Amino acid sequence: MNLEALARTLADAAADRSAVPQLSREYDLDLADAYAVQRLVVDARKRARTGVKLGLTSRAKAVQMGVFDVIIGELTEDMAVADGGRLDPGRFIHPRVEPEIAFLLRGGEVAAVAPALEIIDSRYRDFRFNLVDVVADNTSAAAYVLGPWRAADTDTANRGVVMEIDGRVAETGSTAAILGDPWRAVETAARLARATGLHLPDETVVLAGAATAAAPLTPGSTVEARVSTLGRVSFTFDA
Amino acid sequence: MSDDVITRAAERLRTAQRTKVACAPVRDLIGDDLDAAYAVQAALTGALITDGERVVGHKIGLTSAAVQRQLGVDRPDFGTLTASMAYADGEPVPLGRFLQPRVEAEVAFVLGRDLDTERCTVADVLRATEFLLPAVEIVDSRIADWDITLTDTVADNGSSGAFVLGTTPVRPGEAVLSDIGMVLEHRGEAVSTGAGAACLGSPVTAVAWLAGELARRGQPLRAGHVVLSGALGPVVPVSGAGVHRARLESLGDVRAVFEGAAA
Repeated sequence: MNLEALARTLADAAADRSAVPQLSREYDLDLADAYAVQRLVVDARKRARTGVKLGLTSRAKAVQMGVFDVIIGELTEDMAVADGGRLDPGRFIHPRVEPEIAFLLRGGEVAAVAPALEIIDSRYRDFRFNLVDVVADNTSAAAYVLGPWRAADTDTANRGVVMEIDGRVAETGSTAAILGDPWRAVETAARLARATGLHLPDETVVLAGAATAAAPLTPGSTVEARVSTLGRVSFTFDA
Repeated sequence: MSDDVITRAAERLRTAQRTKVACAPVRDLIGDDLDAAYAVQAALTGALITDGERVVGHKIGLTSAAVQRQLGVDRPDFGTLTASMAYADGEPVPLGRFLQPRVEAEVAFVLGRDLDTERCTVADVLRATEFLLPAVEIVDSRIADWDITLTDTVADNGSSGAFVLGTTPVRPGEAVLSDIGMVLEHRGEAVSTGAGAACLGSPVTAVAWLAGELARRGQPLRAGHVVLSGALGPVVPVSGAGVHRARLESLGDVRAVFEGAAA
């Protein structure tokens, strides 16, 4: 099994915006192989790493996937979208959006907290994958938007999260869906980074995981997430 | 709809509650006639009052987009709350009173004044609300396997079972109701999470709907009434004895402590 070839398959799928079959259908990958493929996929982007994201942090998703450990993926500078900015739909296959909390780590300590939106886009057909598939595919990472940073001592436990699309409520939830309390993401990210041999830069963004189910993104829509007492963040998906 | 049909539907539901054996739906009797369904509910409540029960408020159901889609409806419904359904935070709730209980976390409005206008606004609701409490609603269905349509659940008193109220009041202006977070915990797990906006955009909107609906039906909300405004997240089955703790941002915590075994 040639891990570089598998990484190329996924990188090409992203570049061509053309979904591919699940790798696990044809290859017997273990979790270490999957993280090795992920590393190659991220290397192939040739862009500066800006942070990490956690996946499968909600009990609902864990139950759905039958998987009870959290996974980690990487963020790169070209995935960042400015708050209130615009995003080109041409970059994606079948994008979805979910509201999150982001932490800014400096020297391993939390320096700030922000509301965030993550755009996920599986490179697999029909968004269907198992654990090793999604790890190899950099945990479906595609883009992210960070809201205004707030002080590190901002309480993030059980804050209401409302995601609106074009002014209508699309998803509602609580930050309690993220590992019980999103603060646990900080320690979890450090643990998973160590376990998978990932070097966290001195300044790192951590996307803690989704507070609600993901909503499909359609061109021409404006998405806004607000997190109680934390603030709001938005972007427009171009027509 | 004939009185006979209303009586038969009410009798079927009352028997199920008394014997704790779930019954067939009542839609074979009342079809999709919503007024008939509310007439069944009124007959059931009337019988309870005759037996010495006291109405203490109402519950609003079908307030989430997902549940409305599931039942194919575009509006909420309501049920009637009586004193024997009420429990306080941490007070034991005997499972034996239910058939197939489920729990959900909600905001309870306690009124300081009557709300008797048919075109009730959110401003009217906020002015009339003396305080808010965190609440756990225990919903239950007398109908086997929860096989319900809109008229089945309305006839069955909005699938009401019981409710648990927190004991520390919060003034309505002290919580941004559309944005409050909710987590329902059971055995250390977050089994349901949500936010205020899940309830018709804001729980206060649901209460305004209820107030108008009850005023039109000539049974307006009164000072002292409790209104359970609707679930803030997915409903969760109760599998046995134990604690379900709801945490509502800005409102505090409330625990439903189930004891015994379900009927």
